[in-house]
Parts: sequence; C-alpha cells; structure tokens
Amino acid sequence: MDAVSWTWFLPEAFLLGAALVVFLLDAVGVRKIEAVGAVSVGAVLLALLAVISDLGFDPLGFLSTLPASVIDSGGGSTSLYAFSSLGLVFQGIFLLSALLVALASLSRPSDEAGASVFYGLLLMATLGMMLVAIAADLIFLLIAIEVTGIATYLMVGYTRKDARGLEAAMKFYIIGALSTALSFFGASLLFGAYGSTNFLVLSQGLGGVTESTLALVGYAFLIVGLAFKVTLVPFHAWAVDVYDGAPTDVSAFLAGGTKKMGVFAFFLVFIGPLSILTARAVSCSGSVCVAPYDFRPSVQLTLGVLAILTMTVGNLLALLQKEMKRMLAYSSVSQAGYMMIGIAIGTAPALAGATLQVFAHVFMKAGAFLVVAGVSALGVGPLIAQYRGLGQKRPYLGVAFALLLLSLAGIPLTLGFVSKFVLFSAAVQASTVPGQSFFFWLAVAGLLNSAVSVFYYARVLKVMYMEPPDPAVPLDGPAGDPTAGLGFGRTAAIILAVVAIVGLGIYPQPVLSAIQSAATHFVATGA
Amino acid sequence: MSLEELAFLVLAAIAVGTALAALLVRELVHTILWISVFFVALSGIYFLLQADFLGILQLGVYAGAVTILLLFGVMVTRKRIFSREAATGIGPFPLALALVSIVILSGVAAGLPTQPRTVHAYSPAALSEQLFTTDGGWLVLLGLTMLSALAGAIYLVREGRE
Amino acid sequence: MSGLVLAQFLGLSAALLGIGLFGILTRRNFILLLIAIEVAINAAVLNFVYFAGFASGPGGVSGQAAAVVVVGLAATEVAVGLAIVLALNRQRGSINVAEASTLRQ
Repeated sequence: MDAVSWTWFLPEAFLLGAALVVFLLDAVGVRKIEAVGAVSVGAVLLALLAVISDLGFDPLGFLSTLPASVIDSGGGSTSLYAFSSLGLVFQGIFLLSALLVALASLSRPSDEAGASVFYGLLLMATLGMMLVAIAADLIFLLIAIEVTGIATYLMVGYTRKDARGLEAAMKFYIIGALSTALSFFGASLLFGAYGSTNFLVLSQGLGGVTESTLALVGYAFLIVGLAFKVTLVPFHAWAVDVYDGAPTDVSAFLAGGTKKMGVFAFFLVFIGPLSILTARAVSCSGSVCVAPYDFRPSVQLTLGVLAILTMTVGNLLALLQKEMKRMLAYSSVSQAGYMMIGIAIGTAPALAGATLQVFAHVFMKAGAFLVVAGVSALGVGPLIAQYRGLGQKRPYLGVAFALLLLSLAGIPLTLGFVSKFVLFSAAVQASTVPGQSFFFWLAVAGLLNSAVSVFYYARVLKVMYMEPPDPAVPLDGPAGDPTAGLGFGRTAAIILAVVAIVGLGIYPQPVLSAIQSAATHFVATGA
Repeated sequence: MSLEELAFLVLAAIAVGTALAALLVRELVHTILWISVFFVALSGIYFLLQADFLGILQLGVYAGAVTILLLFGVMVTRKRIFSREAATGIGPFPLALALVSIVILSGVAAGLPTQPRTVHAYSPAALSEQLFTTDGGWLVLLGLTMLSALAGAIYLVREGRE
Repeated sequence: MSGLVLAQFLGLSAALLGIGLFGILTRRNFILLLIAIEVAINAAVLNFVYFAGFASGPGGVSGQAAAVVVVGLAATEVAVGLAIVLALNRQRGSINVAEASTLRQ
C-alpha cells in the first residue's frame, strides 16, 4: 500500500474547508445566502468533480488524487479506512444530493436567518456521509454516521422560530440517539467477540461457539440500530413525522441523501467486507476446520420478508395520505424496500440494481421535495388537493413534477424504470439457482408494489391536470416567466434532476457500467 | 468469592438501582441526583477493572460536566414539567425486540467464562499511543461532530436579531 | 484469591441497556429521555472497558480508546439535545414530547 497522503482526502478536504469558511463568515457577520451558498455549491461541485475523476471518468485530470492502486485494494488489519469503487460511487451519490439541495436553497429569501448555519451543517453532514463510504472500521463507521446525525438533527430545527421544525428535530434526535446507542452496543459486543473492530479482522471468522453467539447478538443490535437510519419497517414510524415537520429543503436532503448512508452501511454489513455471513464459528480439529452452521439462507429470508413488508406498508400508507409531504415520505419508506431486495439477494447484479435504485432515488425524491418546497413558497399546499390546476397554470413546473413522479412510479424511459428493471431482472436471474426460488417472489412483490404506487402518483397528476385551478392562489407569475417565484437556484436544481432522470433513463450505459463494475468488486471482497 | 468480585457486585447493584430510580422518581431534581450517583458507581467499576483513565474520565465528563448540564437544563425548563404520558410513536414491535434481545444477552452471559480472572491493566501511555496514532481517525471524526454541534447549538440558543 | 468474572459484567451491561431502552420507550419528559439515552450508551462504554480488560492480547487497548471516544460522543449528544430543548422551551414553555406535539401521530 502506498504511503498515505492527505491528498487522498481531497473531496473531504473541500467540504471541511468550505464548512469552516462558512462558519467563520458567520462569525464575522457575513450571512447573506448568496455568499455562503456560492461557497458551498462551489465546494460540493469541486468535491464531486474530484470523486468523478477518481472513478476514472477524468473530466479534470488534476483533481484525481487517489492512486489507482489504492482503490479496491482493501484495508490492513489496523486501518480505519479503505477506498472501494462502490464507496466512491456512493460518495458521488451523496455529493449529488448535497448539490441539488445546496442549489435549490440559494433561492430562499436572502434575508432569511440561519443561512450560514444551514449551509455549514449541510457541508458537515455531507462530509460525514463521505466518510461512511470509506470506512474500514466499525467505530470509524459509527462515528462518521454520527457526524451526519448531529448535523442533520440541528438542520431539521434550524428555522428556530418554527415550533413544528423544532419538534421534528426533537423526535429525530431521540430516534437518532437511540439508534446510536444500539449500534455502539452492538459494536462493543463485536469487539468482545473478535478483540477488534476492524472489518478485515471481523471477516476472518471466530474460534468458538460462545464468541460466535456474542458476535451474532452484536450484529443483531448493529442491524437494528442501522435499520432506523434506513427507515426499514418496523423502524420507520419516525421518518414520516420528521420529513413532514422539517423545512422541505431539509426533507429533500434527509430522504434523498442521508438515508442512503444507512443503505451503504447495510451493504457493508450484509454483502461487503463487514459481512455478517462470515460471523460463524469455525470448529477445528487438527488441520481440518468446518463451519458448523451456515445461516446465509435464514438471513436472506429475513431480509426478503422485511423488504416485502417495507415496500407494502410504505405504499399502502402512501395511498391513504392527503398531504403531499407525508405521501412523499411514505413513498420514500417504500423505496427503501426496493433497495432491500438487492441486499437480500446479495449477488453482484442485484447489488448493482440496488445501487442504481439509490442513485435514481436521489434525483427523483430530492427533486420532488424541492418542487414541493418551491410550490409551497408560491402558496400551494400542503394538501394534495390544493395542487389542482398546477399543470395548466405552470406548464413547465407541472411537466417537471410529473416526470419526477412518473420516474418514482417506474414508468419506462425514466431512470426509475431502468433501476427497477435491473433490480428485478437480477432477482429473477438469482432465483434460477436451485434452492433460491424464493427470490422470484421478491421480484413479483416488487412489481405488484410498483403497480400500487402508480395509483397515488397518478392521483397527483390527475389533480394537477384534470381539475380547474384555484382562483384564490395566484400561481402564474408575471408574463409567463417559467421561473417566477422559484428563483434561479431552485430552477437549476429541478432542471438538473429532470434532465438526469430522462437523460439517463434513455441512455443509462455510462452510469450503469460504472456501478456494475463497482458492485462486482464489492461482492468479491465480502463472504 | 473474592473481595474484588464482592466490590463489583455491590457497585453493580448500586448502578442498576440508581439508574432505575433516576427514571422512576417524580421530581426531576432527584433524577439528577440519582443519575450522578449512577455515573460515580460506573466510575468505581472502571477503577476496579484497572482502567484508571476511564474512571477519571467518567468522573470528569459524566459525574461532572453532563450532570451539571442536565441540572442546568432542568432549571431553565421548569415550566409544566409533569404531564400525562402518552404513546411514544416508536411502536410495540421494537419494544418486544428489545426485550427478546435482553433475554438472549442474558443467555450469552450465562455461556461466558465464570471463573474469576485478573484483568489487563493498560498504562495511560499505551492508551494515548493507541488513541493518537492507530485510532487517530476516531478522534478526528469526534472533532468533526463537535464542530457541527458547536456551530448548530450556539445558533439554536442565541437570541435572533430578526 | 482475586479476580473478576466476565459473565457478571455482561449481565450488568444487559441490565443497563434494558433500563435505558425502557426509559426511552416509556418516558415522555425530554430530560428523562436524555438520561435514558445516556444510561444505554453507558452500557456500551462499560462493554468496551471490560472486554478490553479481559482481552487476551495487548490489542485490547483499542477497546479503551473506543470507550474514550464514545464518552466524548455521548457528551456532544447531550449538548445538542439540550440546545434543542432550550430552543423549543423558548417557543412554547413545555418540553414534553407528546404534549408539545403538533405533529400527527
């Protein structure tokens, strides 16, 4: 392994440096949203370019500071971090979600209080997510999750005068702290079983039955702690209240960004270097060692059932919602179920499908929340029924929102369709292996759920296009200006999301091939 | 039964008793008193485990700083502290899961070695060596959490000018 | 003879975790919730310390290092929690999670 250089952490350094600049600007009294927002967007953009060029796309050669020999080489038995190509893909995904939110937030009133704190915390939360993607040590992973956690609790409450936001922050904080306590308890049991928290040591198996039981209970606590972050049913109840009560731009970041951090942690725990599937006792007599019990089938079955439960509960509750933000929040819970399908199957194509689903979800969900935030600034909402006539009065905005919702529903020619197609076909492919026909039903459940979800997305479209506008709401700005009331930044973010969804929906090849090769590497490092 | 084991059992009983008392008493100021005794009992257990540095840290951070912070919180927010308790929103399933895992944990505990052993003592030098070199990344990340906590918490509680 | 028994320590930490979870799931006062969370996190810290003490090799010292870090993290969390309490207290004069809630269940 090459000697460690700080330049390996260039993307993280951009984010930390910008966060410090924003906090310092706040201290000297520069709090204009244009100034701090420009610094933040610039830093996120630079970090994103650096990550993309590290992945080998090379738009800006000099930003590629990570030697190719370091990527996918794995960590040592004492190293805290390792660079995997899937981790880099996730870093890109995290940065994209931060970019969308940072851009859109530029359009908030420029005299609004707390702009610098919002942007500083956004950068710190993104930094924590970036660190999760390179973790090679359990404690490192959990503290990195906590970096994001602390920043996001405060982001939810940053409006300070808004009691709903503060209550959501409080709820989020309690659940977050509970999840932290459970995860660290699990990590401490794993430390007791293995004498280390390094992923490499953890993947090498155990000596005896007692340690093995200890490790299993440790994994159970760790998984429950992380399940809160992924909003897996039955640990999802907090998410809807928090997404609903938080400022909508923050909801976009929570649903589109930080939740994906939990998904990546699940990848580590179930598929990659930290795989629970290696935590089995190895009883040795002489030079012959046997693993007494392989619990891969039971883990896969449990995960599959949880995936189906998460999709179904999320979709059915989304059907019942009358408020736009709560509907999107439940739909976000159900999307976590689709990602769990990939984790349950655990093959490289399924992992690629789940990653593509995560990638698509950033644009679809964050984009949809950003539209809702913009529309509510125009005086529309929070009820779905109040969106009537939006499509007639604001044709461009209506088309953008419609495309985002259609992609969430998985309609062809959108990225949401591509990701579901890759995921479900991986499930069908995996089910042809003898003894794994169960996976076929995962694909069927996923398809049925997609069909259910079309209902509630179509209901929004019907309200937007088929019902007459409410004359009391002055939706149309001056003289047909498509950005009226939205501002430049939010318009740019929405355009970015829509272009990504349609463009990559028609021609997904560059992203798909990068994700597929990263997923193949990642599966190879696991069990 | 060795003297150390006896000392441990006494301290453990105090810790469990005070933790329960802290959560069950009706007066919040009494809660703070009980929880400070809990922190001190845990610190005693750390000394018993020859982890002197952790024992002192526990006294300083928990029995000292966190207790004062909580007391401060109680004093500032005295209004309408008691009211009817309602559903948590967390749901019965996680509660059941928690109970099951506690039962399993007790089972695991029963399987662990029950013969008394002397414990390892690590010198503070070895601990700091570990903390600042091999595991230095943990401290860096801890610093990052504290940076955002500092900036965000100050903003939340300072008087706005708008 | 002298010495300590590993099994008893796991029993204690399981009991502390149980008390902490009980508090988180049943108490509604925010200060009590903070305390319950601290009890649960202390169970994890205790685990790290005694597993380090009972470890066979010198590598166990990283358990103590982890304990130090978790203590720092928990203290940070308390500070953030109190900041949210104070901000909310200024808003409406009650810090009872269920009572203060205008969010729907």
